[in-house]
Amino acid sequence: MKWMQFLTPAKSIDFNETESYISQHPGEEITILDVRQPSEYQESHIPGATLIPLPQLSDRLEELDPEKPTLVY
Amino acid sequence: MLAGKGFKRVFNVAGGIKAWHAKTAIGPQDLGMDLFTGKEEPQDILKVAYSLEQGLCDFYISMEIEAKNERVRDLFAKLSEIEVKHQMSIYKAYNEISNGETSRDEFEKMVENKALEGGLSTREYLDLFNPDLNSEIDVISLAMSIEAQALDLYQRVSAKIENAKSKDIINKIANEEKVHLASLGKLMDSL
Repeated sequence: MKWMQFLTPAKSIDFNETESYISQHPGEEITILDVRQPSEYQESHIPGATLIPLPQLSDRLEELDPEKPTLVY
Repeated sequence: MLAGKGFKRVFNVAGGIKAWHAKTAIGPQDLGMDLFTGKEEPQDILKVAYSLEQGLCDFYISMEIEAKNERVRDLFAKLSEIEVKHQMSIYKAYNEISNGETSRDEFEKMVENKALEGGLSTREYLDLFNPDLNSEIDVISLAMSIEAQALDLYQRVSAKIENAKSKDIINKIANEEKVHLASLGKLMDSL
């Protein structure tokens, strides 16, 4: 079992840090990942966000680039 | 989950979308995607982008005519001028990558009329955001919403585009939209 996946904490960043991070990086160099349900995404999402609902995430990881910084909400 | 799967830098956006106070985009993930097949050559990308900018420019011009407040009219005029400049840079990019001298008229004849920038129509934008067309703040907010929607569309399309050069072009256009959005934010703050 890969315990690391349970133990590695992701750093939390607030709104100001997120907005600044997104504005300082070209869109193609980062991933903004929306893990909510499609109806929530449809109502409102951060521009450029990729939708992969949390229940599907483990099966769809190959759609994402692990080398890119990934901002998750 | 991601950190343990080899993702090198993962950030949790604290508070999620509720904490996000900047402009958001709306609609399903495939909104506006029908404007692009994914197989476009660089020239095709520029033609579609030009037509989307044209849609937005026409929208601002029609709003300029409709607005009664002079300051709002001036604002719409400025917004349409920005789109005209953006169109000019797209046209220049087309000639650069085509190594040709296509005239502006010839280029415009090749461009099909598509939806407004961001994949929604004028009426849909007005219905969604219901702006007070006499309020500068409402007008800038509307423009920011459209830019956010355009940025969102271009970034979603980028993932679909296969040709590397076409992808570069759409990324460049997306990043220009991001700069445009930031400058509208500054304009809003100055009011």
